Amino acid sequence: MRETARPAPRFLRLWNIRFPIGAIASIGHRLSGVLLLFVLPPLALALERSLHGPAAYAGLLAELRSPWLAPWLFIAAWALAQHVLAGIRHLLMDVGIGWRLRQARASAWMVLVAALLAAAMTLGWLA
Amino acid sequence: MKFRIYRYDPDADARPRMQDYEMEPGHHDRMLLDALQRLKRIDPGLSFRRSCREGVCGSDAMNINGRNGLACIQPLKSLHEPVVLRPLPGFPVIRDLIVDMSQFFAHYHAIRPYLVNDEVPPQRERLQSPEQRERLNGLYECILCACCSGFCPSYWWNPEKFIGPAGLLQAYRFITDSRDKATSERLAFLDDVYRLYRCRSIMNCTEVCPKKLSPSHAIERIRLAMVRDSA
Amino acid sequence: MRLFAGQSAWLVQRLSALVVLFVLLLGVGHLLLGRGGYDAWHALATSAHGAVLIVVGFAALAVHAFIGARDVVLDYVHAPGLRIALLALLGTLLLGVLTRVVLTLAAAGTASPLGGA
Repeated sequence: MRETARPAPRFLRLWNIRFPIGAIASIGHRLSGVLLLFVLPPLALALERSLHGPAAYAGLLAELRSPWLAPWLFIAAWALAQHVLAGIRHLLMDVGIGWRLRQARASAWMVLVAALLAAAMTLGWLA
Repeated sequence: MKFRIYRYDPDADARPRMQDYEMEPGHHDRMLLDALQRLKRIDPGLSFRRSCREGVCGSDAMNINGRNGLACIQPLKSLHEPVVLRPLPGFPVIRDLIVDMSQFFAHYHAIRPYLVNDEVPPQRERLQSPEQRERLNGLYECILCACCSGFCPSYWWNPEKFIGPAGLLQAYRFITDSRDKATSERLAFLDDVYRLYRCRSIMNCTEVCPKKLSPSHAIERIRLAMVRDSA
Repeated sequence: MRLFAGQSAWLVQRLSALVVLFVLLLGVGHLLLGRGGYDAWHALATSAHGAVLIVVGFAALAVHAFIGARDVVLDYVHAPGLRIALLALLGTLLLGVLTRVVLTLAAAGTASPLGGA
């Protein structure tokens, strides 16, 4: 018998665990939520700038179309789409729609794909 | 067949390790548990829990190729090699594939898993209509194997305070039982930012339940019952 | 933290989500209907219902974001000091954003109709 007690180990190597699609959608929902927190301050500043005058408004729109901003806008658009779509999926499940495993897996896939599409479309619309 | 199995001997090992095995399954070996019994004959130190060998006692829950399941009802043919076996994620490991279930059972006890009815008992049974009895289906069949709670990220991050899918499913089993009269107290106990509300419907629990139950759905029903109860 | 515990927090998060969704849909609809240009935007933001909608939207967003972020902190951060610090930081950030929005709209509403600084 050992003299000193060591804390018992726990198996928690996430890369050794095979996550279902619902878990991917869920972590996407959480990640997108956190990302959106970082979007809020620039959003508030953009709102202010857009109401400053016609010149400031036009300048803001021009900047939104600039190529260096494109990847960040894509991420922000993805975060918004992912979070809103996953959120709607959650709201529907709250009232008992789509709670069965097969339906839940299908809706998880749909949310993940639709979010990427929505982000791409937003970028296309802006450009 | 090739196996990679998580080994940990608290007396000999500083930390857990993975051990490789290779053995020929017997002619009548169908399930993973059969293979494990055979491996134990080769390496008697290999430790795991088992009992009924038919998926009703819940003893041999473990992480099989990344997903939780019961060894005794996991067909060998369904497994990619090397078959990687680890203990239930997030649970303290006692030895090899044997985990400490105390916290898990403490949560089960905390939700008062028994009928609470102080009314004068009738001459014979407390009657239920077929519809009322129907409401217990998908809840009473739980074997407390912990595959669900062992696959729930929210339970991994807060095992002491979050009741977990198994405990919550059992809580709902009594909330929805027409013979139980403690519904409001049960709901009040669960109305806590940790006990119930760590759940965010990841649905990992339902994915791995070997009895095909849906703890995530039971938890949704508890939330709705809470809203109704407070209205 | 009793106020934001358990069921009440969950309900508030759902309800605030619906409010944000509503305002967001109105906003997206407004954009897609092509009523672009500074004048139309300025008119909307300084009109009574427009300004109220934007403020209500951001207020609901701030509440929703706080509850959501609090859940993340409760899951991963267990040290009490760090926890309080993070939650305080988040609360300040969200309150700051909301205040900025309200002040912006107030300033735009009282500014000269010929636009300008």
